[in-house]
Amino acid sequence: MIPSANTIPQEEKIISTRNLKFTYEGGVQALHGLNLDIRYGDYLAIVGGNGSGKTTLAKTLNGLLRPTSGTVFVKGRSASEQKVAELAKIVGYAFQNPDHQLFCSSVEDEVRFGPENLGYSDSEVREKVERAIEAMRLGDVRKLPPLSLRLGQRRRVSIASIIAMDPQVLILDEPTTGLDAGESQDLLDRLKVLNAEGKTIILITHDMRVVAENARRVIVMSNGRMILDSDCRGVFSDLAILGESSLEPPPVSKLAHRLAKYGIPQDVVSAEELVFQLMRSGGGG
Amino acid sequence: MKALELKDVRFKYRGSEDWALDSVSLDVEKGEFVTVLGCNGSGKSTLCLLANGLIPHAIPGDLQGVVTVFGRNVVQQSVAESSTKVGIVFQEPESQLFCMSVEEEVAFGPENLAIPREEIRERVEWALELVGMKGYNSRSPFSLSGGQKQRVAIAAALSMRPEMLVLDEPAYALDPMGRIGLYSVLKDLKEKHGMTVILAERDAEEASAFSDRLVLMKKGKMLEIGSSRQVLQDPQKLRSIGVTPPQVTEVAALLNERLKTSRFSFLSVNEAEKAIVGEVLRPRREGKR
Amino acid sequence: MGGFIDLYTEADTFLHRMDPRVKIVSVLMLSLLAFVLTNLNLLLLLLAFIFLLLLLARATMSRTLFALKFVFRFMVLIVILWPIFDPSGSPVLASLGPIKITEPAIWRGVTSAVRVGCLATVWYILMFTTSQRDLVRALVKLGVRFDFGLTLAISLRFLPTFGALIDSIKDAQRARGLELSKGGLLKRSRNYVAVLVPTIVSALRTADTLSLALQSRAYGARADRTYLRDLTMRPSDYVALTVLVLLLVLPTFAKFVMQIDI
Repeated sequence: MIPSANTIPQEEKIISTRNLKFTYEGGVQALHGLNLDIRYGDYLAIVGGNGSGKTTLAKTLNGLLRPTSGTVFVKGRSASEQKVAELAKIVGYAFQNPDHQLFCSSVEDEVRFGPENLGYSDSEVREKVERAIEAMRLGDVRKLPPLSLRLGQRRRVSIASIIAMDPQVLILDEPTTGLDAGESQDLLDRLKVLNAEGKTIILITHDMRVVAENARRVIVMSNGRMILDSDCRGVFSDLAILGESSLEPPPVSKLAHRLAKYGIPQDVVSAEELVFQLMRSGGGG
Repeated sequence: MKALELKDVRFKYRGSEDWALDSVSLDVEKGEFVTVLGCNGSGKSTLCLLANGLIPHAIPGDLQGVVTVFGRNVVQQSVAESSTKVGIVFQEPESQLFCMSVEEEVAFGPENLAIPREEIRERVEWALELVGMKGYNSRSPFSLSGGQKQRVAIAAALSMRPEMLVLDEPAYALDPMGRIGLYSVLKDLKEKHGMTVILAERDAEEASAFSDRLVLMKKGKMLEIGSSRQVLQDPQKLRSIGVTPPQVTEVAALLNERLKTSRFSFLSVNEAEKAIVGEVLRPRREGKR
Repeated sequence: MGGFIDLYTEADTFLHRMDPRVKIVSVLMLSLLAFVLTNLNLLLLLLAFIFLLLLLARATMSRTLFALKFVFRFMVLIVILWPIFDPSGSPVLASLGPIKITEPAIWRGVTSAVRVGCLATVWYILMFTTSQRDLVRALVKLGVRFDFGLTLAISLRFLPTFGALIDSIKDAQRARGLELSKGGLLKRSRNYVAVLVPTIVSALRTADTLSLALQSRAYGARADRTYLRDLTMRPSDYVALTVLVLLLVLPTFAKFVMQIDI
């Protein structure tokens, strides 16, 4: 299930970890020797319950946390040799709570903050800010104070401020929490566009419906270990693994499993797929 | 006597131009479990804050219409007086637990009411048992998971012995396990203890199965109210207010569409399984033979 | 999680069991005593006594040293700086311009350091053996208004939470290229705005919900209130109190009334 590190050529790996271990001050070991390879252009979801280590893992990928042992390689170089501010040019991290990042008096200033810190020239900064504002559709609120906006808009501002730094990898921690169905779909669609443009997307979430509809690859974490690394379909076929990691498969998935003996495939994740399969197994009419 | 009555209620937060609640009329009977569905800005939180009098006493704004809780107008009752009738749980676990131990937290309310010590002890035990946190008395809030914290928050409201419990998106910050634990507590409260519950949610997946009624809200207006089954017959309605419908209801709606019927209605995976096996798959297999 | 704010460790020792009011009063008295005494030997005796109490409280040396490491550094600093700023007395051991290092000054420095050590350790013992709940309860019973007691309790309870919040915000901003330790004073202050604003906003939001939660639980509903946690004085508490009163009164009497130099 877990692809061998040697099967992906070095040039194709944007991030990889070797025996990554992390222990918090106070003795809690959050990561137990992880080996993970992420390709350029991957759309990956890291899932798991609270305490599974998924957020800890994500924070080692951009240097916010340094491994206790083992290595994290970003674009071939060890992350430990680079400052967080440098890694921010390659790996962007949008935190779960946008209010932990917003502090400027206008959306534009907020989006500008990142690229300015990274030392880009004025014209480069302006260009990146424009693209980010457009990508997250913040054109009509660009002069407003971010803190006066609705949650959905604040989250887009926070993500825009990360995109503006032009990283190749975007890590997003629970980006759809608190958004309504439309905003959520909208955001995920934009992420798909960015992925199509070549950006590597890493979603950290415990919402399996979001995962089912967006990610191509899923890593299931439990107690600091990767218990499954598979394509999306593969994950939903294995309900036992999901249960072990305190995750809830989408109801349609549960239903499909119960209907297994009627020939319903196990990797069905949406209502449309299930009904299609139900119609097929009966043979119409 | 109804648990909660809203008669043509309008409310605007001070400094806001929009009505947070726009001509809402709603009756909740004693013992009912009502889930109010809506996304940000729908007015569901405002509804919760009205139920125990925080609006208008603690939160300033323009309130019109009449809000009656167990027969008494909220405007005429202080929040403290309402607190013995209505308990409230907010969405952030961190912001509503302020004591250093679970026991203190749950005892805080009754202490404020000068209830005798022995009775407080009984209430604390009773409340903790109800939420499945028996024995956690001396645990500090830092050692609890999000789900456990929310359950303590529920216990802290229950120890005031309210007749109605209002919860504003209590599962917002929780992971799947936390959510499941929380909803099972709510289910028990309804089924075993007959508590009146008003639950404001943005996610219909869990609560719709055991709610008596669903209320759909959008931008301060109440769009629809009815039994879960009635309201969820058309999952599109939920999408139109920004709420993701429970997946099984989408399955039912699609089956109805394909088979040109309207008899399918699922509120749970169990129901869906039974109906599909009984009416979709088996008959077809028999037909094939 | 509780960081260094929650020094309390549960244990069953004489000091843990002592009525928290007696502990607070005792700590105050011992602090006063540390100021009354000026004789170094007596102060060292006091320090030894306080360390004995530490042992009684079953405080491990490693924890104590960790908690008090700033105090120890401060003590060393006092010993070094005192003679520099106090050139009086003789014999002079060294001099450099206006600075005269004299032997009595060194001893005065040491005396002050020991005094600081006594104070810090005795307050540490209080925090180590008394839960926040008991501390606040004791203060209220001693006459402090419940409002203040609750404010103190809530502040202490939220310190670790806000500590974690600030860390989270720092991380979020570092991920945007913010470097907090770079640059001159002016730049660094401006950088801290990026941490300060989100912190204050979050804190205010929490405070807002907290006030609603307090009101929803009838806080302030009545003038009277029940306290689940009851404090009763036991014979051992009275004995301890008497001993400590004597410990303070006798030397004070000796010093100020009988003019004995201690």
